[in-house]
Formats: sequence, structure tokens, C-alpha cells
Amino acid sequence: MRIYILTVCSLLTAPAFLTAPAFAQNGFSANYDNARQVTLKGVVTKIDWINPHAYFYVDVRDAAGTVANWGVEFGNPLDLEEEGWKPTTLHIGDAVNVDGVLARGESRRIFAKSIVLARTGAKLFTATNQKRAAPSEPAPRWPDGQIRLGPAPGKKGYWGAASRGLAEDTGKPIAMNDEGLLKNLADADRVAPFQPWAKAVYEYRQRRLLRDDPLLRCLPPGGPRMFQTPHGFQFIEQRDLGRILVLMGGGDRNWRMIYTDGRPQGQADEVVRTYYGNSVGHWEKDTLVVDSIGYNEKFWFTNGGLPHTEALHLTERFSRPDLNTLKYEVTVDDPRTYTRPWTGGWTVQWVPNEEIQEYFCEESIEPKYQQRGE
Amino acid sequence: MRIKVPMPRRTFHFLCVLAFLSVASGLAQQGHPLTGTWSGDWGPSATQRNQVTLVMNWDGKNVTGLINPGPDSAPLTSVFLDVTNWTVRIEADAKDKAGKAVHIAAEGKLEDLASYHRTIRGTWHQGSANGDFRLTRD
Repeated sequence: MRIYILTVCSLLTAPAFLTAPAFAQNGFSANYDNARQVTLKGVVTKIDWINPHAYFYVDVRDAAGTVANWGVEFGNPLDLEEEGWKPTTLHIGDAVNVDGVLARGESRRIFAKSIVLARTGAKLFTATNQKRAAPSEPAPRWPDGQIRLGPAPGKKGYWGAASRGLAEDTGKPIAMNDEGLLKNLADADRVAPFQPWAKAVYEYRQRRLLRDDPLLRCLPPGGPRMFQTPHGFQFIEQRDLGRILVLMGGGDRNWRMIYTDGRPQGQADEVVRTYYGNSVGHWEKDTLVVDSIGYNEKFWFTNGGLPHTEALHLTERFSRPDLNTLKYEVTVDDPRTYTRPWTGGWTVQWVPNEEIQEYFCEESIEPKYQQRGE
Repeated sequence: MRIKVPMPRRTFHFLCVLAFLSVASGLAQQGHPLTGTWSGDWGPSATQRNQVTLVMNWDGKNVTGLINPGPDSAPLTSVFLDVTNWTVRIEADAKDKAGKAVHIAAEGKLEDLASYHRTIRGTWHQGSANGDFRLTRD
């Protein structure tokens, strides 16, 4: 006879501000409550090894003897494979102990932080945000000496996700998670020099745990946001065509064009408004400087829900001090939203010897349509 | 053998509307919450309604715009958004059917801020007439 036990080891009453797993799709905070951590003990009944969200299901018996089936999300299968997990690592019928974070609301769903096989005590999985770092080497260069933003010839690699959320660089760090959710909403004033309406909108989005994020509906993340999505990005430098493509592994898995052929920037009132804007770039020694205008207002230009208007003007600076490091700095100038231009940025780590993996955001929202019978 | 059952027309229409709404909600304007075209009506009772179209744009300092764009349009003279409670006060000077100047003052609350189809509901005063209004962002 199977014995299923549900043990809620620790319903933490003190708010735990844990980092959202980088491999989780955006919307972690909207879907899971870091303050409610549980341990489930049960037997695996089903495994969905599907990109972008791997799930398994366990039958769990509570103290009253009632059996309920729980869904356990445990990451992106492609990331899990890199960590050594295989589809055969877990089998239907295995008894497991799972530590994880409860979903918001009443659904029986958790996000796993660790999975232990009860029979052997072997830890199958521990959530990690870290990609393997490559040994430090000089940044690769083109034959004319200009820095390469992509891999060296014959090598593979891509850029991971941003090291932190976007906020004005004042030298005093602001506590926020990978999704840009503030630890203390009172810090909103320090994030950017908001106009009053913009601060109110930002706080509204934060209070709603970013659940209104257009990216959750797979809309394109323009501006700095394209460097903050999980699954990384890559530069394709087409020097003969005078342009750089920025390919996104996450978000809507789209691309952005930066023209480096010397063309002038368009007139702000004539440029067609798009998600990724109109970008022209040039090199200043080892720094790529990109000027962008022409954004529409249908997206959040950074995680955390910073608002913008069509007047948004970005000046981005990309530099690569060594093989593993991309320094990103952006000056945000939107006088309809902020009282003055402000600058923030982050670093990004190189993911060596790997390609960006397949990922499609649409798969994340497909179950919602299925539930509605569409 | 599976038999394909035709989908009832009403069900099909319902699903089309559902699909449209799901797409529309995904394309919400994320900038200043008043910017855009709003349509709805106002009137003293449920049966006496007057159609209203309102176009508003945030220029960085003020919300400007028009009521009922076209030959009978009236420019907005004042728009105030109180972001502490998302209430809106809109004023304009229009002309009635006889060409007489009438002052319009509407006060309402902005609701469903994150939705493409966010709304403003409240009270509408036009000349000596009073009523309620509801506007939905197109």
C-alpha cells in the first residue's frame, strides 16, 4: 500500500526574499509566493518533460489521509539537461521529497528548489542561478582590432541574463529580485526620477507583483528588457552589411537590428513606433554606443515595470573588458515619464561552449487557452 | 470512427470574441494611463444617453485633447489626474445645438488600470444638465 504524506515543514511567516530562479520564465513572483515554502512527500504519477517548463506530478496524502495530486514545476528542460538531468532521471512510481515554493492562490502547485529520491536519499536536483563561468581570457577581436561581441572564430557561446534589475546608478544598491520586484516598495523613489504619474504606475505594477507584464503574454521586450530575459542573447555582427543583429533566446525569441553603417538617426516624430525601436550605433574605441528612438508604448522596457512613453530615447553603451564580461550601461531620457535623464546598467556573463537553446514563450500560455477549450 | 460535429454558430462567435479579448488585453497601452481614444456615453438616465468620444494625450506636462473629434469637437481645457486615488477631472467648453456655449465638467475614477479596456466612470455636468458617464479606452 502506498503511503503518501504531506509535510508542510515550514510555512515561513517572515517574508523570505529569495531570488527567483533564473531559469524560471518571467512571472515567477506573480505565480509563486516565496514566503510560503513547503516540503511535499509523495509518489510521482506523471512527468511532463516539455520545454519551457518541466513538470512532474505527485500524489500526496495529508494528515487526514486525503490524497491530492500536486504539480511540481522544476525548471526549463534545456537548462536541466545542462545540469546533468535526463528525462529518465525520475520515473513514475518514484517516491520523492520535494522542497519548493507554493503557488499563489489555491492551486496545488509548487516550484521545486530541491528534489530528493526517497529510496536512496540521492539529491536529484537543486535550483541554481549560476551558469558555468569560463576561464578569464582577453576579449576576442576582429582582424582590425575591434572588439567582437560574439564568440571568437571557431568557438561557441552566448550571453546570459543581466546581473541585476535596472535602476538609476547612485552607488547605493536597491534590493530587488531577478524580475525587478522591489524588496521594499518604499525604495521606489530611488529606482528612477519618476514623474508623479509614472511613480504611481510603477508602484501599482509592483503591488500587483508584476502580473500585468506584457511579456507574460509573450509580447516583445524592447529596450534594456531584451537583455533581462532568461535564456540569454547573442550578437551577430554583419560588418559587411553595416549592422548588428541582437538575437534573443528568451522573451518572444525575436531579434533587434542595430545599424552601424553611419546612417543618421531618424526624426523622432517620423519614425514608425515599434517594440524594438530604431537603433543606430557606432564604436568609440572599444565601446559600442547605440542611440535608439521610435518605441511604442505596448511593452515594459525593463523588468520591474518601469513605465515609458513614445518619447523614450535610449543611449546604450556595450563594452567587453574580457571574454566573459559584457558591461551594459543605458541612459534613459523620457521627459514625459522621468524628470531628468538617468543612467543604470549591469554586467552579463558569457556562457561558453554552448548555443542558445530552443525556447518558445507561446508554450507558456498555451495551457491557458487549452483550459478555456480554445 | 470519430464523427466531426459542427460547432454551433453561437459557440463559434463566443470563442471569436474570447480570442479577440485575450489578444486585445495583451496589447494594452502601457504609457500614461489617460493617453488614447476613449468612447462611451453620458446622460441623465439609463435611457437618455449621449455618445461621447474623448481623445487624450500626455505631453509630459499636461493632458491635452478633444471631446468628439470632428466638426463639433470641443478642446479639453483642463484634465487633472489624481494618482493617489486614480480619479480624473475633465473640463471642456463646447456648444449646444443652438450654438450656445456650455461648460462640461466630468469627474470619474479610472478603473482596470492594467487593462487595454480600462474605464473611467463618474458624473458628467454639461451646462445645466447632470448625469453619469462611462468611457472605455478603445
